[in-house]
Amino acid sequence: MPQILSPKDASLFRQVIKHYDAKQYKKGIKTAEQILRKNPQHGDTLAMKALILNAQGKNDEAFPLAKEALRNDMKSHVCWHVYGLLWRAEKNFEEAIKAYKFALRLEPESPQIQRDLALLQMQMRDFQGYATSRRAMLQARPQIRSNWTAMAIAHHLAGEYTEAEKVLTTYEETLKSPPSKTDVEHSEAVLYKNTIIAESGDLERALKHLESISKTNLDKTAVMEMRADYLLRLDRKSEAEKAYRELLDRNADYRPYYDGLEKALGLDKNKDKQALKELYDEYAKNNPRGDAPKRVPLDFLEGDDFRDAATQYLHYKLSKGVPSCFVNIKSLYTDDFKKNTIQDIVEGFANGKGVRETNGSVEDKSEEDANAFKSAVLYFLAQHYNYYLSRDLQKATSYIDQAIELSPKSVDFHMTKARIWKHYGNTQKASETMEQARTLDVKDRYINTKAAKYQLRNDENEAALKNMSKFTRNETVGGPLGDLIDMQCMWYLLEDGESYLRQQKFGLALKRFKTIHDIFDVWQEDQFDFHSFSLRKGEIRAYVDMLRWEDTVRSHPFYSRAALSAIKAYTLLHDHPKLVNGPLLDGVDGDDAEADNADAAERKKAQKKAKKEQQRLEAEKEAAKKQQQQQKSTAGADGETKKEDPDPQGTTLVQTKEPLKDAEKFLNHLLEFSPKIIRAQTAGFEVYIRLGKYLLALKCLIAASKLDSQDPVLHEQIIRFRKTLDSLSEPLPPQVSSVIDAELPTLLPKDTDLAKFNEQFLARHAQSAAHMQAALQARRVLNPDAKADIEKSLSDTLALPNITLEQAQEGLATLKSWAADKTKREAYVQAAAKRWPEASAFQSA
Amino acid sequence: MAEPQPSSVHEGATTGAEIDENEATSNIPKSAEDRATAAAMSSLDTRGAEEESVAPSKQLDSEALGKAMKNLNVSGGAAPAKATGGAAATAPPAEKKKAVKVDQADVTLLTEQLSLAKPKATELLKAHDGDAVRAMRAFVTAA
Repeated sequence: MPQILSPKDASLFRQVIKHYDAKQYKKGIKTAEQILRKNPQHGDTLAMKALILNAQGKNDEAFPLAKEALRNDMKSHVCWHVYGLLWRAEKNFEEAIKAYKFALRLEPESPQIQRDLALLQMQMRDFQGYATSRRAMLQARPQIRSNWTAMAIAHHLAGEYTEAEKVLTTYEETLKSPPSKTDVEHSEAVLYKNTIIAESGDLERALKHLESISKTNLDKTAVMEMRADYLLRLDRKSEAEKAYRELLDRNADYRPYYDGLEKALGLDKNKDKQALKELYDEYAKNNPRGDAPKRVPLDFLEGDDFRDAATQYLHYKLSKGVPSCFVNIKSLYTDDFKKNTIQDIVEGFANGKGVRETNGSVEDKSEEDANAFKSAVLYFLAQHYNYYLSRDLQKATSYIDQAIELSPKSVDFHMTKARIWKHYGNTQKASETMEQARTLDVKDRYINTKAAKYQLRNDENEAALKNMSKFTRNETVGGPLGDLIDMQCMWYLLEDGESYLRQQKFGLALKRFKTIHDIFDVWQEDQFDFHSFSLRKGEIRAYVDMLRWEDTVRSHPFYSRAALSAIKAYTLLHDHPKLVNGPLLDGVDGDDAEADNADAAERKKAQKKAKKEQQRLEAEKEAAKKQQQQQKSTAGADGETKKEDPDPQGTTLVQTKEPLKDAEKFLNHLLEFSPKIIRAQTAGFEVYIRLGKYLLALKCLIAASKLDSQDPVLHEQIIRFRKTLDSLSEPLPPQVSSVIDAELPTLLPKDTDLAKFNEQFLARHAQSAAHMQAALQARRVLNPDAKADIEKSLSDTLALPNITLEQAQEGLATLKSWAADKTKREAYVQAAAKRWPEASAFQSA
Repeated sequence: MAEPQPSSVHEGATTGAEIDENEATSNIPKSAEDRATAAAMSSLDTRGAEEESVAPSKQLDSEALGKAMKNLNVSGGAAPAKATGGAAATAPPAEKKKAVKVDQADVTLLTEQLSLAKPKATELLKAHDGDAVRAMRAFVTAA
């Protein structure tokens, strides 16, 4: 039976709540214990104590206590509410919802429980449930506007546009007098209603409604943009034209306005070039400082028109010394004519051919200006010859050296020089040069991060962190790295992880990828606060945008890159369990005994070293901890306590019993949110075929072939798939085989001779290194006896005219994974080194 | 610069969420002394002040509001039933719940082969008249 408190204890209980509110946790606990001394079974007090413990970060104590509270007082909504809050803190939202619902059944009138429930339902995207909760809240407090708006959001997101609109209109009709002009909440709510009408597809009415509110609305830009958009979509061209011209008068540098205007005028970039040119010329004349009206025509102009326009544009930019000029122009390089023309023009500038006629007074230019122009031109050309579509690294080097001679202190120039080294494949020199650029301006955070990135590419993880630490808060728990994690500095974590993966330090690599995975969890978490906050602020359109963005947040490139690398690490761990102990130095699976012995010895050494390293790190950590504790005792107990990472080296991650299961955690998100990345599908295949999930493997193959049926990796996987199925020790369930029999032929016709199929593919793509490598890989699977022959063919790919450095490195990795003889590998490396003399990858065998 | 971004890049995709300070200031404890216990529980959650901090608008016509609420109650009561009425995006399975017999062995097969959760597997089988091969084929070829 629930205990009933004496009046004195009841007032103490109120104290507990007050302390909790004020975050005076220690006092709260003390008071709660005072009550419990007399009433050890009091459920509500036990629950409150659990809640406070949880707030202190002791959730392992909090949970049993909350359960005990529930046992003592099953009928208390407080206990259930606390139980729900604890689940929420654990991020188990389903259990939390259940607990809240229980609490609500016991206390249907409690607005707090109702609100907490609603927030969770939104977080879980349970729109029907959210609507129910919101309706109850609205009925309880109809005088608050945000309750009405929230009701509308519930309908809107569930796709019930008419309902949503009706709710908003109903509220508007209750207003006695029009709200004041400065009422932002009203202004936003009305615009929100307008977007609902538009989303329901009734543009005519949306336009009408928009025009009725346009005068008083505070977000003028949004109103004008929406109006122009509606007019265009309603095919009211001349009005749309006017609307877009009005927008351009406000901002003549925003491309979407031009796109809209072109459409309104019915102009086509492929046909009406002359008319378009006139249009843009007019805007360029009226906005002499604007970029867009000058830059856009370069997209569609051709021939001499292009040459003239490009000459003017480039001369203007380069004489102003605009450093981003090349970046702004390089998207034109996909067109060969434009690429060559630009090269001609700028090389002409370098040889002293200016466009004198355009701004006549060249002689007036001071020498300084002329120098600035010259170095801008040289800089442009260096970038030009460094770019992958127009690459000539020797020329690039010569131009950047000249530029550096002119301005030896330029950070930009040295940075480009580092980039050139990168493209040479020389990570060492790239990193050194970037570091040199950094020293030219140590206060510049941009060049600092660049230097760190290049160091990571060169696997100098410690140096990179040291550089980064110049801009981090180093007193954070975990030092500079801890701060980078707190600040969600994902590019760093990603590069760091990929670097460790290259070095086969799987623990640290997985640690970084896992951190990125967790950061995305945090992003998902972060929206929680906005479910209440945005409503209070009345910023509904932005809120709805945010919700939709959150739904696809894991399609972000950072996530897919981290996931792909993590999956690669896990599959490697699955294939070579020995890797857990540290890198296998000389390829994997070395089959000749000598190499193996050497390997083992070296590995032992490496292990020893790693152990020492770890001991050192731990000692450091101890010291840091001690220091911190000292600081803490002076700082007092207040402030958030951050838990120390118990496994900074990622040992638990790497020692996983089921690497493939762990890979699936990344893979599921990857396939759900980035199904259009072909590497996601091929990575999925690798995981599923190892797991023996043949249908899922087939699904990946089918999806990949829809993206690119000639993908080299896909080709090799199809052959491996068939080969694996043919040699299964146990037959598949009959239904599974019949699915495969029905679907595989679309990729690989039945009864195809695999060897022949492979040779055909090889012949078809004889000029592509990536395809050759894949086909050779497949040939090796099909016919392991032809080893020597295959290895020779692989080396032959080095002679292909269009093979890239990356592909050549890939080939070396393949050769290693085949456990090819040392001589073969050395020969490959030598041949590659001849072609890429600067590349670090081929510096030694 | 006006360079178009690749379509895979979302505007503002990298900025983390920021929370206004008001979030924190709204947590200021109220005098709980004279409040009854139950009322004091109201601030259990740290974001307890949401409703209280918003004063009802003065321009509100309470009479009209009452009427509006009545209308809402009418439509609100009926809403769950006709939820699918005006909605194109609501889930269709509510309507076509045909009585399809699903073999539990097939469900197990699907959960194992396709790594699906049980309810999902059942749903998939139902959508294909309980035919495991057809269900799996559809799953494998779905984009």
